[in-house]
Amino acid sequence: MDPSRIDLSQADDALVLRAQNGDHDAFGELVNRHQRRVWMVCRQYVGAGEADASAQDSLVKAFTRIGDFDRRAAFSTWLTRIAINTCLDELRRRRREAIVDDESDGDEAPNRLDLLQDGAAGPEGRSMQKQAVASLLAQEKELPPRQREIFRLRFYAEMELEEIASTLDVHVGTVKTQLHRAVHKLREELGAYR
Amino acid sequence: MKSHLEEHEITAAVAGLELEAAVEQHLGSCVSCRRQVFAMREVIDARLEDLEAEAPDWERQRQEIMLQLPATPMARPKRRLWTRPLLAVAAVLVAAIGLRALWEPAPVVDPGVVSELPVEQILAEVDAMLADDSIPGFELLDQGMDDAIFDNGTS
Repeated sequence: MDPSRIDLSQADDALVLRAQNGDHDAFGELVNRHQRRVWMVCRQYVGAGEADASAQDSLVKAFTRIGDFDRRAAFSTWLTRIAINTCLDELRRRRREAIVDDESDGDEAPNRLDLLQDGAAGPEGRSMQKQAVASLLAQEKELPPRQREIFRLRFYAEMELEEIASTLDVHVGTVKTQLHRAVHKLREELGAYR
Repeated sequence: MKSHLEEHEITAAVAGLELEAAVEQHLGSCVSCRRQVFAMREVIDARLEDLEAEAPDWERQRQEIMLQLPATPMARPKRRLWTRPLLAVAAVLVAAIGLRALWEPAPVVDPGVVSELPVEQILAEVDAMLADDSIPGFELLDQGMDDAIFDNGTS
């Protein structure tokens, strides 16, 4: 694990201990540290419309159940698991697709990466980048659910591989394989090959 | 020295997976391969920026969360250490009983035993009972009571 993450984790432990004794200020500091990640995770599962509500729900649940946190995993991992379960419960309730479709459709955009390779500065470059992003989004939706989930947790929730493995309760080798396949597929679809 | 990286190596570099020293060294010196990695990362980063633009006001979200917190967290449930071993023992016992039942051969029924019932005698008794006009279960025990039942409420 990255040393800065170890420091964060140790600082989390002290705050968790205080929060377990009902210290709201300590939990408020934990919210400060982790709310962005929690929101970003929820955003991937329930979409923009519900992400805020699900993130709030997850953090309130985390405080309510903080007595159950036994330090076997990092607090951030435990919290991410709560966020994912909250989102899955919400999805089950709504009987919707596991990872919600984003609002933009993303048109067919072959060779977007090639277009970008000479730099994306200036209005034209930005427009091409927008097209490439739309294409990425469209192709992400075509990935198998597990690959899409791992890809998004890695790049948008910015989680470490080990953390993803621990959160999803899979072997880290599985995470690596699925992530490699996802990136390979996306590069292929976005036209990285000449 | 590699001429250019293989596709799986570029993919691994984009994904942020561990790279062999030779691959890292090549990426450090080859503009073409580095550009391929950066091109994909740039698109992903742009998508991340879009997502961040949708994010709520963090301070306001934090305040809303704090307002929803209960006064104290739920008390940690006490772990009952004896329940699991007890359940395990019960499961083993049930499994053992089930296996024993499977192993024991089913009792062999001798067809002769069934035919030893005095069928003829039973049939003769039933015939005799049916031949009798009166069926004891339906005989009126007291004619007076019968009249009282039918007269009830009518006189």
